[in-house]
Amino acid sequence: MTVLRRVGIRLAWFIGSLALASFLIFLITNKLPGNIAQVILGTNASPGEAAALEERLGLTKPFFTRYLDWMAGVLRFDFGVSYYSGEAINPLIASRFEVSAWLVGLGMLLAVVIAIPVGSYAAMRRRHADGVAVSALSQIGLAIPAFWAGIWLVIVFAVNLGWLPAGGYVSWWESPGEWLLHLILPVTSLALVQSSVLSRYVRSAVIDVSHEDYFRTARAVGWSRIGALWRHGMRNIAISLLTVIGLQLATLLVGAILIEQVFALPGLGSALLMAVSRRDLGIVQAIVLLLVWAVLLINFLVDVTYQLVDPRLRRRGELQ
Amino acid sequence: MKRGTLNLGLTLIGIVVVLAAVGLVWTPFDPTKITGSPLQPPGWPHVLGTDGLGADVLSRLMSGAKICLLVGIVSVAGAAVVGVPIGIFSGMTRGWISDLPARLSDILYGFPALLLAILLAAAVGGSTWTAMIAISVATIPAFVRLARAATYQVMSHGYIEAARVSGIPKVAIAVRHVLPNIAPVLGVQASVSFGIAILAEAGLSYLGLGSGPEAPTWGRMLREAQDYLFNAPILALWPGLAIAVATMGFNLLGDGLRDLFDPRLREMS
Amino acid sequence: MRRSRSFLGMLLAVALTVALGACTRPETDEPRGRELNIGAATEPAGLDMITTTGAGTPFVLLYNVYETLVKLDNEGNIRPLLASEWSQTPDRLSYTFSLDPAAKFASGAPVDADAVVKSFERARGETAAESIRLKWAPVDTIEAVDQRTVRLNLSRPSNGLLYDLTGPTGSISDPTATADLNTTPAGSGPYKFVTWEQGSRVELEANAGYWGTPARFSPVNFRYFADPNAMNTAMLSGQLDMISNLTVPQSIGQFSDAEKYTIHEGTTDGEVVLGFNHANEALSDVRVRQAISHAIDRQALVDSVWGGKGMLIGSMVPPTDPWFEDLSGVYPYDPDKARELLAEAGYASGLTLRLRVPNLPYGPTSGRFIAAQLKDVGITAEVEELEWARWLDQVYGQHDYDMTVVAHVEPRDLGAFAAEGNYWGYRNDAFNTLLTEADTGTEADQTEKLKEAARMLTDDAAAVWLFLLPSITIATPAIAGVQDNQISLSFDLTTLAARS
Repeated sequence: MTVLRRVGIRLAWFIGSLALASFLIFLITNKLPGNIAQVILGTNASPGEAAALEERLGLTKPFFTRYLDWMAGVLRFDFGVSYYSGEAINPLIASRFEVSAWLVGLGMLLAVVIAIPVGSYAAMRRRHADGVAVSALSQIGLAIPAFWAGIWLVIVFAVNLGWLPAGGYVSWWESPGEWLLHLILPVTSLALVQSSVLSRYVRSAVIDVSHEDYFRTARAVGWSRIGALWRHGMRNIAISLLTVIGLQLATLLVGAILIEQVFALPGLGSALLMAVSRRDLGIVQAIVLLLVWAVLLINFLVDVTYQLVDPRLRRRGELQ
Repeated sequence: MKRGTLNLGLTLIGIVVVLAAVGLVWTPFDPTKITGSPLQPPGWPHVLGTDGLGADVLSRLMSGAKICLLVGIVSVAGAAVVGVPIGIFSGMTRGWISDLPARLSDILYGFPALLLAILLAAAVGGSTWTAMIAISVATIPAFVRLARAATYQVMSHGYIEAARVSGIPKVAIAVRHVLPNIAPVLGVQASVSFGIAILAEAGLSYLGLGSGPEAPTWGRMLREAQDYLFNAPILALWPGLAIAVATMGFNLLGDGLRDLFDPRLREMS
Repeated sequence: MRRSRSFLGMLLAVALTVALGACTRPETDEPRGRELNIGAATEPAGLDMITTTGAGTPFVLLYNVYETLVKLDNEGNIRPLLASEWSQTPDRLSYTFSLDPAAKFASGAPVDADAVVKSFERARGETAAESIRLKWAPVDTIEAVDQRTVRLNLSRPSNGLLYDLTGPTGSISDPTATADLNTTPAGSGPYKFVTWEQGSRVELEANAGYWGTPARFSPVNFRYFADPNAMNTAMLSGQLDMISNLTVPQSIGQFSDAEKYTIHEGTTDGEVVLGFNHANEALSDVRVRQAISHAIDRQALVDSVWGGKGMLIGSMVPPTDPWFEDLSGVYPYDPDKARELLAEAGYASGLTLRLRVPNLPYGPTSGRFIAAQLKDVGITAEVEELEWARWLDQVYGQHDYDMTVVAHVEPRDLGAFAAEGNYWGYRNDAFNTLLTEADTGTEADQTEKLKEAARMLTDDAAAVWLFLLPSITIATPAIAGVQDNQISLSFDLTTLAARS
């Protein structure tokens, strides 16, 4: 089998899984008990009124018609309007995505900045007490729920010391300074845990590299350990790290929901939770679809990259 | 050194297991009843104090340990029982049929546990079972991928080839030769997944998607502690610590096992 | 405008910002008054008060953006607003309102009789929500007598009508507005609607041409918090000027520093009800319902679930209604009596009931508390927490429950027990008759009959009225004029002022 053919098969699988995922999402969300008409009308409504509202919102059309209508919109990148507020869904998701993207993006960045030196240090000093201590610290970071860390950060820095806002979000367009201040605590609590995850990958990547011949040679000809690592090992470490980050990014977009909840950030995750609680299915479907497709896309890209770079590496990607 | 990680992990898990086992037969007070005035600080007779309603925190913590282990066991076992056979099957066969389970589990992989739990909780209501099922389903792909990759590895060994040629049925090969060989990797994965499951349950309960007021899980206790963060921040400390101890225990156990089986695992990763 | 920005455009914009690394705040040429940020829990479900029900919409819009002919003040009295005076014929079959000649909409159009008639006809028309439409049932015709006079002709006398006109039912919208009222409200109030970011905030600004006392704040942001604790921390860190209602009263100690916060406590219309499904065999027995009423120490419940802040009521009437009577002592906490009643009803050996509570701040904790107390008298209550939409579907819609806890926040909602197909399955013809007589009789009759009706519910132990939700408003000392009670549906901004 040529590489091209293999990639072609992967592509077919990828497109098939996008379609299947979209159908599953539509099926699941439409089978949820309870409906938006009841939520809008609240404890004030009669059954007849709820039925009339459902009719008006177009919720009584046959299932497949609604699925096709929805997919036709999705392919034109139009997710329709919110049943709840009548607002268009696209700009709503865009503004929510902005918040999540900053949170996750900056959180990951900070995590990488912490993880590379920490992980390398833990690897190089792994037979010494200090290296072991660093590893132990990352174990603690792994075991602590990020939202729990967030709660304590709020108590200490926002409430007791009053240095930083406890929650909420100010857009970059409104005030860059406030924007940064509001993001410090949530980004930190996300990065605390993520840096523990990443530093463990860095540690094992560095250990791998230090066993390689080229590294030993470099050391033998007089390179310092850090110099040799920087000169020769970074590429390998970067590949391993990028794979992990890629796979985690999309998951984190929704996973950050707990952090969003603690800090009252209007991100994608809390939008999803809100929309589910109101049965605003248009928004639920849009967010779930985008997240699932994002994960599938990243998976596909990682997969294809391995195929193209070195088929033998594929197994490695799977093991991770 | 290697043993150190393993032993520390086992010790931490031991603490949780003892807490849960004792909690099965005896707790200082009935965890569902109001046995004192609200928000008492740690002391006597309420060793860890009382919560916002006046229930004994230690009793609730012990009762929660039980549920924590149950969630871990059920969700990991469920994922392994479904995922491992699929993975082995896929690893032993060739062609498109071999790819199918892997591709399907890739789609599943697209639904993170939290996303599944949100949808599931909306569909059937939040409960300990909802949390277990969501975590379990979300863990399946990890087992499928791992079992498949590990099976590939094993299949290349000469003795399997010999067994196949001599006409031993596939199922027998899978059970007799493949499974024992990949068991160590699966054990490590199970241990790591256990830690993840405990964290996931805490997160779900904190969002109100997991256990209800009837079950004092640690995540639930954290959620309830939220309302008293300023009057009694210590209420948020105990369940958080318990979660950290249990998760760390299973993570260390996983690492310890990995080190123990090192030569075989090195070869594969 | 944020709203019109496309998704891809947004991504591009974000990318560009990162690349350029700088962006300036958009310039506005409007003069900005003092900004006011209010933390709130219930978000609107749409912005048209006639077609959407739910408490979130009038909370923001009523009296602030939309006005009514008459308004409800903080003590429950009816006061003039758009109508400077009004009269009733002796047979109580006709109301005449004289409009204030100065009144005009934010668009500049006058609030004339024509606008009032159009608004009222819309409120009782096809598109209106049923709960609004039903309130117009006693009204036969609505006529514009002249440009400043409106007359309502009734088919039967109604004591409730004038009161209902103080709410969304009587809101007057601008007939010259062309945009959809559900996204762009158009009223005559001191504030104008600016934007609604779903899940986050609603922004209002001062209506520069307001016909009455001008607005004292601009802009005003209602900021929504799904998690009440996040709202508290936002207040503590100075991002909010006010918390409109503290829904975790046990956290009130955080605001005890009088230098930084003022606390205003009062009452609301929200009765927290432990509801019984009367279709359940055990619960259809009045002795079982009375036993449960005796088994719950309501004061202890308020102390631990609601920080000791709620008032005990005992029936479906808040103390701000004229027919309030203190019935909280009818079923004193008495577990022995409860066991006795249960034995009499044949449940001496125990009884298992499902207690399905919504995931609202008071739900899970009161569920736990009630289950713990019922355990003492031999009733096993299986507590289950339901997401709000599920609660509405299964408990409220399908009556699939034995017991539940929910707050009924609508004003004057005694009639909920008379409604056809109510979720408790409660039906009492004598009670229904009393309510009808109360609405058509004289004002004195009304008070008398409604008192009797409320007592009837209590004697029948139709439900357990756990407590009345308190109104707890937290503000910075810079805000004056904060009202203690929250008894209209509006969060009335007009009483607020900045202390300098």
